[in-house]
Amino acid sequence: MSLLQTFGAPAILFARCLQAIRRHGISRRAVMVQLGELGTQSTVLIFSGLAFFGGVMTTIAWAQARKYTGNITVVGPAYFELMVREFAPVIASLLAATRMGAQASAELAAMSVNEQVEALELSAADPVSELVVPRLLAGVIAVPALTIIGTVASTFSAVLMVSYAFHADGSSFMNGRYVGTGDVVCAAVKAILCGAFIPLAASYRGLQARGGASAVGHAVTTGVVDACLGCLLIDFAVAAIFLLLGV
Amino acid sequence: MIRAFVQWVGFWALWAVRFFGSVMLVASRTVLHLRHLEVRELFRAIVLFGYRSLPLSFGVSALIGATVILQAGVYANRFGARQYTGWAGGYALLWEFGPLLLGLVMAARIGARNAAELALLTINGQIEGLRGISLDPFRLLVAPRVLASAIAVTALSAATFLCAILWESVAAFFTLKLPVRVFFEGFSQLLSAGDLAGGVTKSLCFGIAIALVSTVAGLRASGGARGVGQAAASAVVTSCASIFVLDYLLTPVLAGLFT
Repeated sequence: MSLLQTFGAPAILFARCLQAIRRHGISRRAVMVQLGELGTQSTVLIFSGLAFFGGVMTTIAWAQARKYTGNITVVGPAYFELMVREFAPVIASLLAATRMGAQASAELAAMSVNEQVEALELSAADPVSELVVPRLLAGVIAVPALTIIGTVASTFSAVLMVSYAFHADGSSFMNGRYVGTGDVVCAAVKAILCGAFIPLAASYRGLQARGGASAVGHAVTTGVVDACLGCLLIDFAVAAIFLLLGV
Repeated sequence: MIRAFVQWVGFWALWAVRFFGSVMLVASRTVLHLRHLEVRELFRAIVLFGYRSLPLSFGVSALIGATVILQAGVYANRFGARQYTGWAGGYALLWEFGPLLLGLVMAARIGARNAAELALLTINGQIEGLRGISLDPFRLLVAPRVLASAIAVTALSAATFLCAILWESVAAFFTLKLPVRVFFEGFSQLLSAGDLAGGVTKSLCFGIAIALVSTVAGLRASGGARGVGQAAASAVVTSCASIFVLDYLLTPVLAGLFT
């Protein structure tokens, strides 16, 4: 039941967004504002998070290599493929979900608790087109871009880590021998779907908030948790579909 | 130009000093109050943070297990190291994916919840009120929650790892056609109790970090309902960032300790 709510409500909200876009068009200015608030301000978090993640991954690869192949550079290209295809989209969208989800749901919850959403409706403006559509478009643009930044950051730190901490040939960790179009398409599909889902789930929980300040806290918790779980499920489903297709 | 740079450096240096100072303050006050802390609040917080997060952590464990196997499968097919899948899956899960993903999700759940509640109390002046009737908010509210978060995340991590390993074996059976026996042979022969201890210790540290950081964010809140939302958001972001930093610092230390 709650799973149905987690995925059904954002789907309905998505349909209403499409309707609102057709009816009212898109305000470019609002989209740019949201891109700045949701996207640009997440850059530092995602860059540093994935840089740490790349360093830790190579540390693990090094421990594994010491155990049975003895040579860390052998696994470099395969690790790069995994990074592009799986790790970078998953971790980047999870981090974006916590950051963007918390901000979007807190802001919308504060607005609906203070009855500003009702005020919008009274002045004949559509809250979906004013509030949700810009966040949706910002998410769809920002999350793929952040995934690219994250991939670059993790690759960079992996190469530096291997070269300077383990004294091996680090450039094998940016060797694109195994990376094909399928890997990039898989990563892009994940990033775009997560980018659409995060603002929708967060906005839904935010707009649902009723009551006092504790309702805002509750909306933030559920919004962030929904966004995180949804991103994990989307990543898993897309990875499984691409594996079954054999791409 | 230079002036702007100096301002920028100063701003972040001040921010860092303030952040570490307040985290240390909360940590030391918690330790001071450990001996006579409010037991009822401790149990309430354990139920709220631990028991209520069980469905979420089981869901996360299924996804962690399946994702790790999907990745190890690419690996196993490419290098023909199928009998090592149990080891690779278990190692990645216990040392990295398990603690990290559980920590991030718990940062979102426990951190946001704790910060929002404390921020609400701060903004409504209830913390001041407690001080006014000479009750220490750290003894009543903060110390039990930090302890509860540490206990809850440690317990959840053990449960999550167990569940995720079962899911891994199922996923390996279906995607790689790897017999469950072979999976667990690789798992049990090449991994030791030290690997599990490493993962659980990491989770314990994450649990403490989440509680401390979110308490700081909550007690610092100001302004109206907006402030509550901002405190929750900043608690989530700072806990995530500190989990990544801790993960990076702890991995070599724990690997040296337990292997």
